[in-house]
Amino acid sequence: MNKDAQMRATINQKLIETGERERLKELLRAKLIECGWKDQLKAHCKDVIKEKGLEHVTVDDLVAEITPKGRALVPDSVKKELLQRIRTFLAQHASL
Amino acid sequence: MKMEDMSLSGLDNSKLEAIAHEIYTELVEDACLGLCFEVHRAVKCGYFFLDDTDPDSMKDFEIVDQPGVDIFGQVYNQWKNKECVCPNCSRSIAASRFAPHLEKCLGMGRNSSRIANRRIASSNNLNKSESDQEDNDDINDNDWSYGSEKKAKKRKSDKNPNSPRRSKSLKHKNGEIGGNPDPFKYSNSAGINYETLGPEELRTLLTTQCGVISEHTKKMCTRSLRCPQHTDEQRRAVRVYLLGPSASLPEAEAGVENDSFEVAESQALMSRLQWDGSSDISPSDSASSKASECSGAGGHTGGTDPSEGQILRHRSLCGSKTGCSGMSSVQEGLNRPWLQSLEHLVPHLGGAGKFGVHFLGC
Repeated sequence: MNKDAQMRATINQKLIETGERERLKELLRAKLIECGWKDQLKAHCKDVIKEKGLEHVTVDDLVAEITPKGRALVPDSVKKELLQRIRTFLAQHASL
Repeated sequence: MKMEDMSLSGLDNSKLEAIAHEIYTELVEDACLGLCFEVHRAVKCGYFFLDDTDPDSMKDFEIVDQPGVDIFGQVYNQWKNKECVCPNCSRSIAASRFAPHLEKCLGMGRNSSRIANRRIASSNNLNKSESDQEDNDDINDNDWSYGSEKKAKKRKSDKNPNSPRRSKSLKHKNGEIGGNPDPFKYSNSAGINYETLGPEELRTLLTTQCGVISEHTKKMCTRSLRCPQHTDEQRRAVRVYLLGPSASLPEAEAGVENDSFEVAESQALMSRLQWDGSSDISPSDSASSKASECSGAGGHTGGTDPSEGQILRHRSLCGSKTGCSGMSSVQEGLNRPWLQSLEHLVPHLGGAGKFGVHFLGC
């Protein structure tokens, strides 16, 4: 267990150090805007905010409402592409 | 380093896959969180709902998609009169006539002022010497001949025919006109210097456009044959002068009456003209009779010096001075204080009698 956690930490550090994590984030954001994910979620946000009232909305509320929906709405193609890139990264650094 | 290598290489495929998914989830949640922050900030700053409108107004501005109407639901009127303002001469022209106008105005055709101007700039023409010769011939001629009137325009400073009688008539005229300080300015750019053109060019030019030579700019009027600024008599005289006595007005001009100008221009002209109702002589009558005298033999030499009363009457026939805008040098002179204008005018006109002749022609 200890070894597993240590390994994850190492991988995360590698992701950040190489800048791959930023690149992946940028890619994901662009893809999500492109496919309309962002607009869908914004529309959902509007519903949530109207329901709760403009003054009473907190970030936590939004995160709680939005994150599950956001995860579900990511198109398969985007998900596949992202996973592929992560795997490539891992393979490169596993073979070192 | 060694530790990492060992740990990574020790992973099996399923574990690697799990880690990949984990990273992916993290990334997606990052994106969600970013969006949440963004939305929250927009809500708190009050601009989140800015692009929303109520359904009523949405209905008002709905895009109409029906045959026969445009997207605003208005009936498209094909024949609606659209006017364009020419960027060059800033006249407003009907949209359907705009392209032909622009062609002339900006210089696509051979008769355009721009091309003509360039031609003038580039060449010192042979015709120049010819006309100079004529000048010399005419220098001792009678002041009243039409030809010498033309010369007078060219050599403004050469002449000093000044008699008290002429001054008197001019004074009257000047007093009358001085009250109206809004002259119709004749544009310098709209003209062709006829001296630089060859005979064939002149001929074709004169069959397509007015061609009356402005006293002020000494250039030809480039408007149509029915140009309201100049009269048929002026046009005829110019043709006789430039092409010889055999030349006549082109066919299109023969039937022109005073009220058959282009509609827009004639309206403008008519509004400027104020006919003297009490006068027993119609302007066209007197103008044509006088002009025929003038142009018949390339300038007459008789003592048909119009009396002062005649001039005044014709002045009234001419209406406001904007009615004879072709003679801009006259107007320019007339707009000065009359003492100056006497000196100014007389060289221009070759005497007050010319002035009368001019106004008759107008």
